[in-house]
Amino acid sequence: MSAASRLRISGGTVYDPANGVDGEVRDVCIEGDRIVVELPSNVPRLDARGMIVMPGGVDIHAHIAGSSVNQGRRLLPEEHAADPVPAPRLADGAIARSGTGGTIPSTFTTGYRYAGLGYTTAMEAAVAPLAARHAHAELDDTPIIDAGCFVLLGNDDYLLRQLVAGELARVRQYVAWLLGATRAYAIKIVNPGGIARWKSGGAERNVGGIDDPVGSSSVTARKILEVLAGAANTLELPHPVHIHCNNLGQPGNVATTLQSMQALAGQRAHFTHLQFHSYGGERGKGWKSAARDVIEHVNAHPEISADVGQVMFGPATTLTADAPVEHLLYTSTGRKWVNVDSELETGCGIVPYAYREQAAVAALQWAVGLELFLLARDPWRVVLSTDHPNGGSFLSYPQLIRLLMDRTYRDEQLKRVNQKMFAGSALLDGLAREYTLSEIAIITRAGPARLLGLTTKGHLGAGADADVTIYADHPDRAQMFATPRHVIKGGTIVVEEGQLRRAPAGRRLAVRPEYDAAVTKDLKRFFQDYACVSFENYGAEPVS
Amino acid sequence: MSAATRRVEHVTCLGCGCACDDITVVLQHDRIGEARNACALGAAWFGDGTMTPDVRVHGRTAPLEQALDEAARLLRAAQRPLVYLAADLSCEAQREAVALGDRLGAMLDSVSSGAAAGILAAQRRGRAAATLGEIRQRADVIVFWGTDPAERYPRFTSRYAVEPQGLQTPEGRRSRTVIAVDVGARRGPGDAAARVAVAPGDEMDALGVMRATVQGRVATDHERFRSAVELARRMSAGRYVALVADGEPGAAPADPDVAEALVTLAQALNAPTRCALVVLRGGGNRSGADAVFTWQTGFPFAVDFAPGYPTYRPQPGAVALLAAGEIDAALVIGSPASVPEPMATGLAPLVTVAIGPRVSAASFKPAVALDTGIAGIHEGGTAFRMDDVPLPLRPVLTGPPTAAGALRSLRERLGA
Ligand code: SF4
Ligand SMILES: [Zn+2]
Repeated sequence: MSAASRLRISGGTVYDPANGVDGEVRDVCIEGDRIVVELPSNVPRLDARGMIVMPGGVDIHAHIAGSSVNQGRRLLPEEHAADPVPAPRLADGAIARSGTGGTIPSTFTTGYRYAGLGYTTAMEAAVAPLAARHAHAELDDTPIIDAGCFVLLGNDDYLLRQLVAGELARVRQYVAWLLGATRAYAIKIVNPGGIARWKSGGAERNVGGIDDPVGSSSVTARKILEVLAGAANTLELPHPVHIHCNNLGQPGNVATTLQSMQALAGQRAHFTHLQFHSYGGERGKGWKSAARDVIEHVNAHPEISADVGQVMFGPATTLTADAPVEHLLYTSTGRKWVNVDSELETGCGIVPYAYREQAAVAALQWAVGLELFLLARDPWRVVLSTDHPNGGSFLSYPQLIRLLMDRTYRDEQLKRVNQKMFAGSALLDGLAREYTLSEIAIITRAGPARLLGLTTKGHLGAGADADVTIYADHPDRAQMFATPRHVIKGGTIVVEEGQLRRAPAGRRLAVRPEYDAAVTKDLKRFFQDYACVSFENYGAEPVS
Repeated sequence: MSAATRRVEHVTCLGCGCACDDITVVLQHDRIGEARNACALGAAWFGDGTMTPDVRVHGRTAPLEQALDEAARLLRAAQRPLVYLAADLSCEAQREAVALGDRLGAMLDSVSSGAAAGILAAQRRGRAAATLGEIRQRADVIVFWGTDPAERYPRFTSRYAVEPQGLQTPEGRRSRTVIAVDVGARRGPGDAAARVAVAPGDEMDALGVMRATVQGRVATDHERFRSAVELARRMSAGRYVALVADGEPGAAPADPDVAEALVTLAQALNAPTRCALVVLRGGGNRSGADAVFTWQTGFPFAVDFAPGYPTYRPQPGAVALLAAGEIDAALVIGSPASVPEPMATGLAPLVTVAIGPRVSAASFKPAVALDTGIAGIHEGGTAFRMDDVPLPLRPVLTGPPTAAGALRSLRERLGA
């Protein structure tokens, strides 16, 4: 479909919650790469009668491209051998690429599989600034989806120095510069201060609480959160700070999570993979669900948003900048383990994993995620993710949707899992809620788009990007969401009758805030003293 | 500075895997007069930058278009083609090359098969690693395991591991303890503060004993291993240990068991302290080939597209397929000088298409030879340092065709 072409998607049942459309039969008109209000009646039609029409899916948090993702890929030859992907046959003889799947698919396969799932936008959630050039090169080889990068901050030595020196205004300039230099979309904070401690090799290998000093008494997780959240909000970034709290995966981490939320009271902030941060209990004494405490706080604070980070049973690859956590997981599982300390900035840890129904902790994690979903009052602020591939592959989203929409199915699953740690879980009270299609449309597209500040994504109003997914109205919602009939990306029909037919390049989503050039003078000095790459070669911009 | 003199700063050298990006290249009359900050190896890699690129078809000079047509014809006719990536390619060229391999249903391999031992060990066990700059910032104990970087990685110790001051090493070398482990004739640096000798036949056992010691187990009280036990204790007592080994020690490939034992020792050291294993890699963007192969196919080298999708064939590898007569044509991309001897021998009797720097003079006498410039000197793009840190390339001279451009033209002809 050429840029000027027109298409009328006619007679479908439309779910466009951002525009208040809840299951109405109506047409959706596309001209070029945009949605338009109306088109002449003689334009080509796509008959969507009896089908369900939604905006293209928007993944707010996934790990799909860049240095740590590729380290993970390299670690998984068995998975790739077990899931070969021949090149799809595209229309007009266009070139397609073969690849491999598993929990971390090759880049081309990643693009094809997202599109095949009806997703047209995804955010790469953890890009080390030093390796940003790598992340963008991989995204250049990831077709169809529009993608943006979250750049890692919060353990970087330059930032920590500014906090020690009380140079808060300079932090803002630095953040603005870094976002532009790395072509990033948002700020990601991972285990603030904890990775710096892990790398320092001291007796303290991680941060235990948000007021632990990191090197200096003036640097704490609390301070890092406050300053970076403030910077993002002052710079009016479309997405606020995207926070992975301290103590991921630890029993009793609910205290840290709530303290982190309280530390930012009144400020916009996004808390990611909340499931991994909602545990009661105590180290050495077992775990329990604290989902209720966490979600009640979120429900009561409209400035906060979250994605769930649901755990799904089956294979996963845990992969995070939170390197000390991965060392713990390595020690407790004895599986393969990758650690890469990244100079002056951040870390990276990887352990392949599998969540089993019969494993008590995995079952608890599964339950905590579902509780968060089912107790969330505002779907616009609590959206879907599995922290792909950490809690499970993005390919498991349809199964997750079914768990949310179908109580009978959910209760059957519940009976099969190990409930040893379920004491106090709201799931045992028989949560009756079933998500509606409109709510699913919110947590998988309209909500993430709004939280990301992507004004032309996640809805079907005039001027929106022509990203549209059309599903057969199958009563098994897992099947329905796994196999969309048609997917349109930027006006191009990429999936037709369930087959991938076109694979145009995706666009990059990035911000470029203004900054005072004085900061680069100071940065150059810092680079001169400590860095092992030239300031002029840093970042992801093309060089002269 | 005269009009005929020009300078390009912040140039990345690909003379070895250190990828020093602080080079100032001074050009006089379109020749490289000086590569400031580069070591002797780097200066030799830059050379004077002059090239007389040739295009040859069956030995005769030919126009570029004709060469590309003939290359496409030969590759299309092949039943079982090999696409082989040598050194001195940008990631952009490597991406084009993998696309061609995919389209041709080829066996795809690269110079990284020479580093197979370390790559495969890391696939079995993972690895505890760090970028080189982090070694600079943190490492207070540095152990060179049977390697002295002076010859093949000349600025490694001055830029990264030993001399420079870092966050936790404010006095540079004086903040660190450097220990050389001499494994037979494979000796560590001569200026190390301490030395430990390991007989080559004892290398695996010594590593096993060290790991046991780190884990608080007693594996042996044999006199032979006393120094290994002591070394392990010394490493455990460090604040941040760097264990440095050579991933491409030369003609003889590294021992797979030793490669794995180094990985597991470094991992184990992260219980009592912190430790990173540094695996030294050669120049010409070798690590870039692994990275690009991995993101496009899921495998870092030895990828066979014959079934219509990527499969992993680290054993037997491309050299063995050549020796077995399985391959009937090859596309060789990059500097022929970096092609290992057994590969070059295997290519000699084959119909080959070669695209890269000075391929018209390649020992394996390509049927079609298309000379290009050298990535990093005549061609821009991206390259990876040995620790996977991506760096931009700043071409200082233009003129010869680029490998990425030539490969794109070939792809168009092959409908890839
Ligand atoms: S150490 Fe290696 S990269 Fe650095 S200048 Fe010498 S040859 Fe070039
Ligand atoms: Zn994540």
